Amino acid sequence: MNQKKSFWKQLVKQRTLCLMALLPVIVIIIFKYVPMYGILIAFKNYKAAKGVWGSAWLDPVYKNYATFFKNVNCVHIIWNTLKIGVLTLLFTFPMPIIFALLLNELRGKYYKRVVQTISYIPHFISIVVVCSMLNGFGSTTGFFNDIRAFFGAARVDMNNGSTYFLPLYIGSAIWQGVGWGSIIYLSALSNVDTSLYDVANIDGANRWQKVKHIVFPSILPTTTIMLIMNVGNVLNSDYTKILLMQNSTNMSDLETIATFVYRQGIVEGKFSYSTAVNLFVSIICFALVFGANMITRRIDPENSMW
Amino acid sequence: MKKEQKVRNKVYIGSRTFDVCLIIFMALLSIVFIYPFLNVIAISLSSNRMISTGQVTFYPKEIFLEGYRLLFKEQNIFRAYGNTIVIAVATMILSLSLTSLLAYVLMVPDFVLKKGLAIFLLITMFFSGGTVPTYILIQKLGLYDTWWALILPGALSAYNVFIYRAFYKGISTEIREAARIDGAGEFRILTTIYVPLSKALYATFGLMSVVGVWNSYYEALLYIKEPDRQPIQMLLRKIVFASGTDSMNDTNLMLSNGTLNPLNVQYACVVATIGPILLVYPFVQKYFVQGMQIGAVKG
Repeated sequence: MNQKKSFWKQLVKQRTLCLMALLPVIVIIIFKYVPMYGILIAFKNYKAAKGVWGSAWLDPVYKNYATFFKNVNCVHIIWNTLKIGVLTLLFTFPMPIIFALLLNELRGKYYKRVVQTISYIPHFISIVVVCSMLNGFGSTTGFFNDIRAFFGAARVDMNNGSTYFLPLYIGSAIWQGVGWGSIIYLSALSNVDTSLYDVANIDGANRWQKVKHIVFPSILPTTTIMLIMNVGNVLNSDYTKILLMQNSTNMSDLETIATFVYRQGIVEGKFSYSTAVNLFVSIICFALVFGANMITRRIDPENSMW
Repeated sequence: MKKEQKVRNKVYIGSRTFDVCLIIFMALLSIVFIYPFLNVIAISLSSNRMISTGQVTFYPKEIFLEGYRLLFKEQNIFRAYGNTIVIAVATMILSLSLTSLLAYVLMVPDFVLKKGLAIFLLITMFFSGGTVPTYILIQKLGLYDTWWALILPGALSAYNVFIYRAFYKGISTEIREAARIDGAGEFRILTTIYVPLSKALYATFGLMSVVGVWNSYYEALLYIKEPDRQPIQMLLRKIVFASGTDSMNDTNLMLSNGTLNPLNVQYACVVATIGPILLVYPFVQKYFVQGMQIGAVKG
């Protein structure tokens, strides 16, 4: 009782703080919590006039899921999403680490800084610009085809069909992310105690031994955390990019869950159905992060996120 | 003795070769990072004859400026620039002020609602409503086809609040205590002490939010219908990915008689879109790296 009273007393005393928090809290409730509540429409027959709560429940409530899993394209869409996600993770994840390790070995402080600064530039370019570039480079007279022609291969329109989608999608992701992604590893490396190197030198360790025994262990915690976060995002393919890379020739081949949600929900107005599909992905993503973290905790408790 | 010397020399030579290879490799890599930009600029300035025979690489050949002339004459690019700047500045101001308020409150050690608010924030990091519920909300609030739909939903991110708080925590609490004894209110302490002492933080996050807005198109694709209210990325998207829909104009005329290559206008618009960012990049890049490092230490 006494404690409760002091809580209210404290609250009144700190009313300025409460007032300061008020506006941000309102914004968060409206734009973060209200949409979470809106997920309910996944199980309802949403009618705009009746609102989220007023709309009738579906019969059965999982009807949207039944429809989705009966869809002939369902397996294809899930497979596509998985394929793009896993391959992207596989190829893009190690690149910043390798780049950081190489930068770390690079002699010449000034040169190193110049390379770093240049490598960050692609990160600041919008996805629309990157896709516009890909669109031009992949055309029959574009730069990618110049390379093919140089090696004696025939010129092909890479934007036609889905054959070249994955290399273009993943390659551009590496180009954009490798420099910027290396920052986090480089800052982990800069925290290494330099006396470790001195000791290694006295012991006559060669370069590779130093990398193996000093550099690797020092970036391992960062790597683990980044990996857990990336595994959680494996199904969240960059749909803003895929939407731009889709055209009439490859649309059916390149449908992923996120683009499916966009097309069904926003373009065709099937609000309940696409929310249901989106929720399905969110739950899997959450399970993936959780699973990845649990595995890390079992192997190496110190490096897990929680 | 002699043998040992030899082995050591070998290791040394191997290492030297590695150094040289690495320097060359990094130089090549730098070209890979920059070449696409040079190629885009070169093509936007070259004649159709040179582009269609694939002869343009690092620099323009047979200088041809029609792409830029048509871009500025027939596309509403200045309006798109203006729209983007207004949206970016509004997002930046709103995001910096709301985040500061919340981060400050969460930093005060004896604030009674601190724990509750932190959990309230943390939940938003793990769960979100997704595209459609947010879309419905925007429509219900009457924000559809207004810039508020682009500004408000992303104004506050829990992640940024925690980073701001970590930054504020680095400022000595004694200053705050002293100000309180002098009778300053909490809001005044934030605006007259914490904000001026966090200039690096604000420079970094202000710039990041401006670049973020400058580069985004998806929100505008969802929420903005009126062509006159579209930001720059949507204009680029229209020119590159939905070309040929305009009625007969100079562009189509010149395309049909072969003087203009479609890439002339498309890449001119790419250059116009990335130009401002590339121009300020050398001066502000240290703030971005700083921001990433603050995030890394905190995360």
